[in-house]
Amino acid sequence: MSSLATTMNRVRFSVGDKAVVADLRKPGHVRTPDYLIGHTGEVIQFCGYFLNPEDLSIGRTSGPMVPLYRVQFRMETLWRAPQRHPDDRLCIEIYDHWLMPAIETGSDF
Amino acid sequence: MSGYHDIGGHAAGPIVKTELPFQHWEKQAEAIRNLLGDNSRRVVSLDEIRLGFESFGLEKYQAFSFYRRRLEALIDTLEKKGLITRSEFEQELSAVQSRWPLPDQEKR
Amino acid sequence: MTIRTPSPSHDHHDHDHDHDHDHGGATHEHDSLVVEDEVGSLLAQQMVDALQALLIRRGILSAGEVTMEIQNLEAPGTHLGARMVARAWLDSAYKQRLLRNGKDGAAELKIKIGEAQLVVVENTPALHNVVVCTLCSCYPRSILGQPPSWYISTAYRARTVREPARVLEEFGLTLPLTTAICVHDSNADMRFLVLPMRPVGTEGMTEDELSQLVTRDSMIGVALVVTPSR
Repeated sequence: MSSLATTMNRVRFSVGDKAVVADLRKPGHVRTPDYLIGHTGEVIQFCGYFLNPEDLSIGRTSGPMVPLYRVQFRMETLWRAPQRHPDDRLCIEIYDHWLMPAIETGSDF
Repeated sequence: MSGYHDIGGHAAGPIVKTELPFQHWEKQAEAIRNLLGDNSRRVVSLDEIRLGFESFGLEKYQAFSFYRRRLEALIDTLEKKGLITRSEFEQELSAVQSRWPLPDQEKR
Repeated sequence: MTIRTPSPSHDHHDHDHDHDHDHGGATHEHDSLVVEDEVGSLLAQQMVDALQALLIRRGILSAGEVTMEIQNLEAPGTHLGARMVARAWLDSAYKQRLLRNGKDGAAELKIKIGEAQLVVVENTPALHNVVVCTLCSCYPRSILGQPPSWYISTAYRARTVREPARVLEEFGLTLPLTTAICVHDSNADMRFLVLPMRPVGTEGMTEDELSQLVTRDSMIGVALVVTPSR
């Protein structure tokens, strides 16, 4: 049986922050899709703390709990193609350790 | 890491709208998985199942229907965690098949 | 039985794919729905029965629990989400609470959300929402029941995040060019429900009457709720 998680990783991003999806190259089960890697989005919501599915997939249930955010990406920059509407966007949940602070110069934004 | 299940943005054909019925065995398999993952048991998590079918290899992944993949992954995971053994599952399956055989099983 | 799509466009999988093969009765073609045929389904039923028998003998679960859980899986359906939508249309304060916290909003209507959280996203003339799970099949099952087959198909999962307008057109929905689209890839612990716009011509309808207009597809985001024809 599993023990309760007791630690929570630090929340590193606030709503409105720009963040880049890191190329972590983790083997096994991850919930960050490939099409996001290297792209910059904007944090739009803090969803709370959750057990990391990467740990859960191998039966590790004791934590730490990780912050989860919803992050918004412009379609135009994700697919590097003109879109039918400049505000077409994609929103997705990303765990804290997959995000790095964006450097504001020359990034997707 | 991109697995064969990680297909967001890939090219694909038209979307087939045919709606398939939710069959009894599919409900039963999902029910069993839910119970095994519930708070009183926490024996198998959904992420372990996902790792299971993400590790099938492309051919097996594509050959099975959605719920059949989950069922196979569930059995694999239970076996991996030592909760059941493959041979006792096969024994149980033989017992079920002898009581209720399919046409090609009747020859045994 | 195999459902085959008409001349699928080839995706980037670089393996040869010109054969049917048999795996307990399932056959497939690229991009088609994979379904178990009758033999495959019966075999799967045998497998589940064997697994259940084994787990019961182990004392890990009981037959009664499985029956109840099957009922729990069958019980939710479009009607639960539709009630939330209809209430939101009639009561703007409720709508704000629902948009802030979907789980609490559902609970107000005595609807229990089994998942971690429900995020309700509102359609407006400026923005249309549509939900997909590219990695598997995440879907608000505790309020909408099981997802339709197309939602878990390769084609929907692959294309919706990249060309949502084309996907919506395949569902018969053409949005005005002034409406932006937001695609929600439901990949983790949240589940999503689209709050469609209330159609014209529904003034004076009761909550029950309104909820009957709300379709599953409108709560996924591939359809609008249409004005009822009298």
